[in-house]
Amino acid sequence: MNNPELGTPITDIDSRVSHAQAEPLPFPFPESGAGRASEFPSNAVPTSEPLLLFEQVSKWYGNVLALNHVTLELRGGITGLVGANGAGKSTLLRMANGQIIPTLGRVMVRGIDARDWQARRYVGYCPDIDAFYEDFSGRRFVRLMARLCGYSRTEATRRTEEVLERVGMRDRADRKLRGYSKGMRQRVKIAQALLHDPELLILDEPLSGIDPIGRQELLELFQGLARQGKCLLISSHELEALEKLTNHVVIMARGRVAAVGTLSQIRDLLEDHPLSVRITAEKARALARQLLGLPEVLAVEVDESTEPSSLVVKAHNPKRFFESFANLVVEEQIEVKKLEPLDESAHAILGYLLGGSGKT
Amino acid sequence: MPTEADNLLRYRPWNGEPRNPLFASVAMARVSLWLLARQKLLWGLFALALLVFFFFFYAQYLVVWITSQLANETVRFGGIPVTVGNLTRFLDRLSLNGTAHTFGNFIWFQGYMLVIVLALTGSVLIGNDFFHGSLPFYLSKPIGRWHYVLGKCLAIGVVVNVMITLPALVLWVQAGLLYEWQSYYLDNFDLLLGILGYGLVLTITLSLLVVATAVWVRRMVPLVMIWMGLFVFLRMLATLLVDGMRLDERWRLIDLWNVLYLTGLSCLRVDPETIRPAPQPEYWEAWVVVGAVCLACAAYLRNRIRAVEIVS
Repeated sequence: MNNPELGTPITDIDSRVSHAQAEPLPFPFPESGAGRASEFPSNAVPTSEPLLLFEQVSKWYGNVLALNHVTLELRGGITGLVGANGAGKSTLLRMANGQIIPTLGRVMVRGIDARDWQARRYVGYCPDIDAFYEDFSGRRFVRLMARLCGYSRTEATRRTEEVLERVGMRDRADRKLRGYSKGMRQRVKIAQALLHDPELLILDEPLSGIDPIGRQELLELFQGLARQGKCLLISSHELEALEKLTNHVVIMARGRVAAVGTLSQIRDLLEDHPLSVRITAEKARALARQLLGLPEVLAVEVDESTEPSSLVVKAHNPKRFFESFANLVVEEQIEVKKLEPLDESAHAILGYLLGGSGKT
Repeated sequence: MPTEADNLLRYRPWNGEPRNPLFASVAMARVSLWLLARQKLLWGLFALALLVFFFFFYAQYLVVWITSQLANETVRFGGIPVTVGNLTRFLDRLSLNGTAHTFGNFIWFQGYMLVIVLALTGSVLIGNDFFHGSLPFYLSKPIGRWHYVLGKCLAIGVVVNVMITLPALVLWVQAGLLYEWQSYYLDNFDLLLGILGYGLVLTITLSLLVVATAVWVRRMVPLVMIWMGLFVFLRMLATLLVDGMRLDERWRLIDLWNVLYLTGLSCLRVDPETIRPAPQPEYWEAWVVVGAVCLACAAYLRNRIRAVEIVS
């Protein structure tokens, strides 16, 4: 499948999947799956209204269709939004923040139209632009944003200091914005989004321009927020970083939601692309013979250049394959040293879905 | 397992309710004024406006002092004897005697500075929000688009009143002190209300006009050109049509500053027959024009606001 039918989103998972509804992750977990969304509690607020709801939303810019019948529902945890440039990610995020009007359909935040100012009490937004009034200091800018949230002077100051501390900018916040590096600007943007303790955080490319140490700090920050019951919708081209944060993703292509769910769930549905798994085990040749007896296995390559030997298995229907494989291992008492899915990364899945390398 | 970052993430409980977004408008107005205060050019214009005020302030004092102290004395200019009372004749058309015309004239002349300041203000306050990318930040907060407009209008209102209403009030207080202050303040209390009314009309009309034109063109140079067109070209055209070509005096209604002047004079209860240049349209006609301008600006803003989208 070079380019799956982008016009038909993979809705077996159901494009209205939310974290609260998402099934447990199938075995095996991706090795990089630390901090996955299912570890986080669903939103703490007991309400039937989804935190963010896109219902049959389309958006035209003149003759260009930016979003095409997007239906999406978020209730908690961290959701990554990935897709190539021009796929409609930023349009979707701005719409969730009420900054863009849908041409068709509706966007609701906790049951309130996203355009309504009251909906924005639930939403913190970190835009992708990093242009400010350059004469402002970081602290002044964040404090202004706090006043816009409706806080008194004292409360605005307190919250400003808190969020600046949280993003590691408290000691540098008196410098003028024009002297900030890209990473510092990102931190200030994230700080202003956190000010009013929103239930939903919309972050457009929050990791761009941030050094590796800072990135790790921010990833921990996001994970911490999710643990507190916040819902985070993060658009990023930094797929490796995003995978560390969550494996629940919305993949967009040409204005449509191409797939929603965990990377494993999405991978399972890509039946045209056999799953590749590297298995390191003793008696690799014997294991290869037995694996070829499984109906799901299409091919097995034995690599004896390593010690112990390893196999690269290509199988369709990954879920059934892993069940059968687990049974086989138990029945035959095979000692498996290592099991490594080779194409369950976001890169690989994007590559399958969007064609090409999957680079965004 | 909790990490160190988790400990930083605790929000201290806050049981308060966020205040009405109208307070956000006030915060926005304050920041807008701060931005204006950083424009050196505007400080220069404020200084010129202050000169206009000082001219009226000291001229009013001079006229009263000369009239009461030296009116019948004679001084020699180049060997020619001149009655001191005649020295201030050139100030007569400004009516510097604490009457309604004093304040009307002050606001009229101060208006030249005000128009230039507002032309620059529009691009600084609104145009820059587009170019500096502040709009997505503002509009991502729990405020409506009208709160944003209100915040900007408030800032412009402060500029208008600091340049116009406040100095006019100072002139009123000064006039009272120059004459019999008790009777002046009592007899001319309606002038005080008139000044406030004039200021209110200017505040509402000009703030809406500034925001509407700034939302429309955004950049400073086109904005200044539009304002010059509105307040200079149309004024010249109206003068040409009425005074030069002797057309109907209603053609003066295209001169917005004159229209605002007429509404202001109606607030000050000036006899229409005494208004110069004559002839002038009726007061109610000026009010209709001012109302129409405000409605047009509000309607334009409403359309723009409904369609505001941050797409880049």
